[in-house]
Amino acid sequence: MIEVWAEKYRPKTLDEVINQEHVVARVKAFVKEKNIPHMLFAGPAGTGKTTLALVIARELYGKYWKQNVLELNASDERGIDVIRHKVKDFARTKAIGDVPFKIIILDEADALTAEAQQALRRTMENYTEISRFILCCNYSSKIIEPIQSRCAVFRFKALTDEHAKEFIKRIVEGENLDITEDGIEAILYIAEGDLRKVANLLQACAITGEKITKELVFSVAAQAKPEDVKEMLENALKGNFIKAREKLKEMLFKQGLAGEDIVKEIHRQIFNLNIPEETKVKLIDATGETEFRITEGGDAQIQIEALLAKIMLLGKGR
Amino acid sequence: MWIKKYAPKSLKEFANQKEGVEKFLKWYNNWKKNKKPCLIYGPPGVGKTCFVYAFANDKNLEVIELNASDFRDADTLRRILGSAVSQGTLSGKEKIFLIDEIDGISGKEDRGGLAELLKILPNSKNPVVFTANDAWDPKLRAIREICELIEFKKIGVRDMEKVLKQILFKEGIEYEEGVIKQIALRNEGDLRGAINDLEIIARGKKKITIKDLEHIGYREREQKIFDTIKIIFKTKTIRGARFAIMSSDKDPEEILWWVENNIFNEYEKPEEIAKAFEVLAKADIFRRRIALRQNWRLLVYMIDLISSVAVCKKNVYRKFTKYQYPDRLKILSLTKLERELEKEKLEKLAKKLHCSTRKIKTEYLPYLKLI
Repeated sequence: MIEVWAEKYRPKTLDEVINQEHVVARVKAFVKEKNIPHMLFAGPAGTGKTTLALVIARELYGKYWKQNVLELNASDERGIDVIRHKVKDFARTKAIGDVPFKIIILDEADALTAEAQQALRRTMENYTEISRFILCCNYSSKIIEPIQSRCAVFRFKALTDEHAKEFIKRIVEGENLDITEDGIEAILYIAEGDLRKVANLLQACAITGEKITKELVFSVAAQAKPEDVKEMLENALKGNFIKAREKLKEMLFKQGLAGEDIVKEIHRQIFNLNIPEETKVKLIDATGETEFRITEGGDAQIQIEALLAKIMLLGKGR
Repeated sequence: MWIKKYAPKSLKEFANQKEGVEKFLKWYNNWKKNKKPCLIYGPPGVGKTCFVYAFANDKNLEVIELNASDFRDADTLRRILGSAVSQGTLSGKEKIFLIDEIDGISGKEDRGGLAELLKILPNSKNPVVFTANDAWDPKLRAIREICELIEFKKIGVRDMEKVLKQILFKEGIEYEEGVIKQIALRNEGDLRGAINDLEIIARGKKKITIKDLEHIGYREREQKIFDTIKIIFKTKTIRGARFAIMSSDKDPEEILWWVENNIFNEYEKPEEIAKAFEVLAKADIFRRRIALRQNWRLLVYMIDLISSVAVCKKNVYRKFTKYQYPDRLKILSLTKLERELEKEKLEKLAKKLHCSTRKIKTEYLPYLKLI
């Protein structure tokens, strides 16, 4: 069976957790005392919320961690009866081993309905002696105040390229990968600080057996190269529609990219173009419209051509 | 956990909510005469549930509690409350019923629960206490009408400091000047939150300092949204505004409503206001498209278009703007009540006139209004 690297390289100890020092420092103190409060982890995707929750469980229970942890993904099981049955039943039974409480990890807790959250609040309190909750979410404003009031709130910061690099290094060394400097840069560009994406992308590249270069990364990720798109946009702005269209066709048919992926890169490049902010607003709107039309079934070539023509018009006044 | 360890066991230890407590005691003394239930309401963490337990402890009452983690549909309520409510004091110990978090009762899962409560309550031989955060929740109207209302207020900063300092004294932990005040301030009247914060930074330590506060995150309150809105209106680039939205803890849809409600407070020139609403309207279209198809790829455009409001001004307004809470959110909860009343009226008419509520709405009401 193939091992998924995102899982294999998921930190197992507190010291392996990347960034989030402020959270880890406090958590270390909790683990040392074998006592944790209810916690709410809030922050963007792929920054280590679930990982940290699992690490805490491992550090507390050692090899029996699985027996003492209930992991629920709230976006799959978000109704009130899950909280009143599954969670409550688990919460009120005693822990196994020398730690007096068990841990309930509620992933994507912001997907819980308001009613389910209401049902959760007293369960958290009544079984406090034998159960502790760790709630993970993107937006803590989606968690009702009474629950926030019962939790220690920790904010996870978005990861920078430096942190992602550290993670890449771990995998490259662990798997003995051959990767170029621009290959690393390409992964950083695509992953945007999401470590889960980093691991998946690296694994997909490694399976080809080739040296991991920028070219390989972009083709595996099926993503448009930033400089291709930038060149296309600049040609359009200069009024050179034919050249812009050539580039588009190359990406669509030679590189085999999907229309949506090109539009996504166009959107990212808008902010690197040397045009007034007001023009950017128009471009954003037009680009969003194009992506919408393509997802509705419009033909990628025609839709993006129309966008390029519009960009040409916007560039005329420059 | 300290929140349990230091929960008051007796009213002697329950220092806050003087008015509420007084009213409650009066209610309890009169209960035998008028048999009215009571509803304690107030924001989270001000001691509602905790007070009932302390009181019961003093009076040697047995508390029978039902909260939102229990099923509270008609059947369950009848089973648990039905016999107990009408029973006197066979066991020797008097009882008090605590129906906690009544605003957490679920419309779907707890069907018929509230109606059943209203049926059981008049026969109660034991006092019944409800708690809720929001007493004005439309679904609580019927309960509200039969209850004695007792308000528990946010805990003042001074009172909060007193409690926190007492805990530290008992734990033998020293503190730097100002730390306690900071914890009290940032929890805005929520004593439970404050005690939790205190425990997180202080447990296992000999002394706590201001620096320790960096480790705890803010609970989500209105304060931070004002900063986000301010950046959107005062920055000159889309990027700057977008960064503010991305690092906010409110989700983009909420921010959309905040911006909507404040464009005209910030911008003064008609063309700026028009432009800003135009891009916001475009953002709204994307909001709808995302919702319809669950197409989250389009979220970036919605965020960028909200951010674009930033560049609809000619120059940054160097003034202090008092940003307002979006009344859209208020209206939604207000009209909910109206809609409910409306529905009630329609149902009554439908019975009288032997037809559906829809027919009443389309065929009778327009004329009835004129008559």
